[in-house]
Amino acid sequence: MISLTNIEKVYRTDTIETLALNSISLDIAKGEFLSIMGPSGCGKSTLLNIMGLLDTPTRGQVQIADQPTQHLNDKQLAHFRNKKIGFIFQSYHLINDLKVLDNVELPLLYRHSAAKERRLLATAALEKVGLSNRIRHFPTQLSGGQKQRVAIARAIVGQPEIILADEPTGNLDSAMGHEIMDILLTLNKTEGTTIIMVTHDEIMARKTHRLVRLFDGTQVQ
Amino acid sequence: MLLNYFKIAIAVLRRRKFFTFISLFGISFTLTIMLVLTAFITSLVGNKYPDKKRDRLLYIRNMELTGPQSMNSSNVSFYMLDHYVRSMATPVQIAIATPYKGTNTYLNNRKIEVNYKYTNADYWQVLDYDFLEGKPYTAQQVAAGERVTVISEYMKKAYFGNTPLVTGQYIEADNVKYRISGVVKSIPITNYLLYSDIYLPYTVSKTDYTGKGYLGNYTGILLANSKAAVPKIQQEYEAIIARLPLPSKEYDHLYSHALPYMQAYVATGDEKRSGMNRVLLAISIFTLLVMLLPTLNLVNINVTRILERSSEIGVRKAFGASSSTLVQQFIIENLLLTLLGGVIGVVLSAIILYSFNHAHLVANLHLVLNFTVLGIGLLICLVFGLLSGVYPAWRMSRMHVVTALKA
Amino acid sequence: MFKHLFILIWNKKKQNFLLLTEVLISFIVLFAVFTLLVFYYRNYKTPRGFDYQQVWVATYTNNFNIHDSDSLHQFYESLRNAIQAMPQVVSVAFVSSNTPYSNNMQMNGLQYQKRQLRSVNSYIVENSYLPTLQLQLLEGQWFSPADAAARKTPLVIDQTLREELFGNGPAIGQLVGDDNQQQIIGVVQDPKFNNDYSLTGKAMFSAPDTGSIRSLSRALVRVAPGADAALEGRLYKLMANTMKNANIQIEHLDEKRNSANNFALLPMIILAVVCGFLIINVALGLFGVLWYNINKRRGEIGLRRAVGATGSSIAWQLVAESLLLATLALLVGVFFAIQFPLLHVFDLAATTYLWGLLFAIVFIYVLVLVCSLYPGKQAAAIYPAVALHED
Repeated sequence: MISLTNIEKVYRTDTIETLALNSISLDIAKGEFLSIMGPSGCGKSTLLNIMGLLDTPTRGQVQIADQPTQHLNDKQLAHFRNKKIGFIFQSYHLINDLKVLDNVELPLLYRHSAAKERRLLATAALEKVGLSNRIRHFPTQLSGGQKQRVAIARAIVGQPEIILADEPTGNLDSAMGHEIMDILLTLNKTEGTTIIMVTHDEIMARKTHRLVRLFDGTQVQ
Repeated sequence: MLLNYFKIAIAVLRRRKFFTFISLFGISFTLTIMLVLTAFITSLVGNKYPDKKRDRLLYIRNMELTGPQSMNSSNVSFYMLDHYVRSMATPVQIAIATPYKGTNTYLNNRKIEVNYKYTNADYWQVLDYDFLEGKPYTAQQVAAGERVTVISEYMKKAYFGNTPLVTGQYIEADNVKYRISGVVKSIPITNYLLYSDIYLPYTVSKTDYTGKGYLGNYTGILLANSKAAVPKIQQEYEAIIARLPLPSKEYDHLYSHALPYMQAYVATGDEKRSGMNRVLLAISIFTLLVMLLPTLNLVNINVTRILERSSEIGVRKAFGASSSTLVQQFIIENLLLTLLGGVIGVVLSAIILYSFNHAHLVANLHLVLNFTVLGIGLLICLVFGLLSGVYPAWRMSRMHVVTALKA
Repeated sequence: MFKHLFILIWNKKKQNFLLLTEVLISFIVLFAVFTLLVFYYRNYKTPRGFDYQQVWVATYTNNFNIHDSDSLHQFYESLRNAIQAMPQVVSVAFVSSNTPYSNNMQMNGLQYQKRQLRSVNSYIVENSYLPTLQLQLLEGQWFSPADAAARKTPLVIDQTLREELFGNGPAIGQLVGDDNQQQIIGVVQDPKFNNDYSLTGKAMFSAPDTGSIRSLSRALVRVAPGADAALEGRLYKLMANTMKNANIQIEHLDEKRNSANNFALLPMIILAVVCGFLIINVALGLFGVLWYNINKRRGEIGLRRAVGATGSSIAWQLVAESLLLATLALLVGVFFAIQFPLLHVFDLAATTYLWGLLFAIVFIYVLVLVCSLYPGKQAAAIYPAVALHED
């Protein structure tokens, strides 16, 4: 599904170069649930951003769904992300100015779907995460766990083949964290969605199929 | 897609009431000023009464004589118009008239101020005054020096009160009784080239108009056959002026022009300082000043808000919005805001113009929001929306997704 | 601390640039408006120098067929006596067309020793002009019938012209004009003939002679309180019957003064209103930007609190930062503004500019202070733990 070959990422400022990722090669199969662990600053978020085409590697190749990505322009990248990938962030990143339903509809908006279809799909997605009674609320009126469930609904509404989750349970207490984890596991099992999750939590990581450990930009496991 | 932009924009505007208020305040106020200004300008120079054939008319107002030591600028003499201008081949008709001057009349110990203007008979053909009753005085009456007059509706009311018809009655002005030949619809004093309360035949003028100097106290209005003939008249007049012998050794140059209404309206009578340029300069500086600060303010707010909205931008990019889509969204949001401000501005200007008209600050001047004014207002809104939206949108689109999500 | 703030601003120069520009332009607008206001106010405070109340001005076209000046003298004399004899008429004077509030100007040059002064207002007036307009005589004397015997043409000047010509030296008796043909006999206080908000400038008065008597075209008539339209009508008839060929108009100086004042004030009022709205606009914008800047810097503020800054010192820091930013904009603005008095761009006194400058600076500081106080107070209320956690 995703294939990374010799990925290297260098951050340059005026004075120093920092090597964030050092020749990472990784193959992720379709339907796999992979977790990435490592200490702060080891480059795991950078790796996730590169997989999500939010960031470009300095060297190396990213193939998603058997398609090379390095020659895509801004518009094509946007389209590719929209179709193939769903994102979940540690700090939810919901748009506070929009209601829950409108937040979930967002990916469909950039697909030019009809309003009726958007509504239908978004309601279905919210039902899957158990939030169908909160669709007219604003994000600020929700608890952290509820916000993250809205974010998951947003990630799955476009039925992407891949979901990238950056510490989805990082801001939640353990009960809520397990709830979120259960939703992701169900998703992976029933829909066959490929999920890549960055986490700090050993317990959560053990629930996934495979664990990758990074240290100082290098893969150690 | 467009509908969604609107929906998002309205949601954002409603949620950020303070910023919406600041933006709307700036936009609507700016637009109000611009609309009131254009309403003034269009009513000053856009109202084609009584010069309904404006694009076929040329005005001769001034002549300027200059020399190394001296400069003399004044209206032209009757002789100059009657002798030189009347012999021109290109104009169809020539109206000759003095600028309006003031006098008084006393009616039952009540003082009435009367502005008078001496004209020839062709004046009534060249210009299309609306006669409410009676008719203009004829060439025969002018030639015979009859004491007849055309008065304005305003004067009729001031002098006769509510008498229904006054044609044939006498009005005393300047210690002379004139028989009323007709009553015309009033024009505001701001149209000072044609304004007067009473119009009199030049032959009853108390001033000697037969002098043969170039300078005097008359102005001419030349009617062209067609719009295309206007430049020919101007050329012919310039040629006549070029041939005129200088009146004395004091002077070495002589200037006079046949000008279209707008230029005649703002003419200063000074060859070196064109009235048109000064008016345009004044208006541009004013516009720049009034537009610049609110625009800068709005840009400032928008840039600040982009930083505030960086998470939103990041999410949108992550879920499939390209940079150009985001720029579009932001500009539409801003245009919507400016248009909303525009609507408020139009309402405000309507209120201001309404109160101006009802305060009767200038008699017979009625300011209206016509389609030209609204069109200009809409244009200003669009320019405003683009000016204040493009730079922030550009800043936003350049923002990197990863940084946007981190902030 | 000061240096610390400066570094903060400098490091964010890109973000602050727009804010700086806005403050700078606001300052320039304020400077222009305040300078004008000060100019108007100072002129308004200057004494008027004459009395306009109970004075009428009759305008007539002077195209009578009297060709020699002696007959013209007699004509005016008899008309003057006839008007003077009317009840309720206090005094009357025939003058040239540049009467108060008339917008008419007559400018002449004036020679004094080797100097040629330009643009001196020249008024041709009869002797009764002084009591009619009640001009204030400061030095010397006014015209009198005895002047007819004088060898030099007598001339009365105003205070401004006196200072321009003679400074603090003696004025009375000085000879001026081409070939020293004129002699200063009196100095009057500057009259404000245009309107209450502008000065007329250099002025000189002379009695009508054989040539200038032809330029008389106005009669100034001082009437007793209670004079009404009936008297005006009789005066009108008298003049119209005496001057057969003339168009005549009678106006009141107090009404003319009102319209002249309105005409002068209107642009000022429009300017002030527009400027007021611009400033409200800028103030709201400034407030919004400062507020958001503080929200954006919650982390920084939390850290400052954590390392020991008190709430009030945080508030003070933010207010001081804004004021420092304003100062930077003002430095640029003052540099431009100061060129006006230095280069004498317009004919205004340097102190007028300086007052305008002062008011504009104070206004900007007050504006920025007011706009940053509330956000500053908000910042002081930030709890370090909460702010740092969010970051």
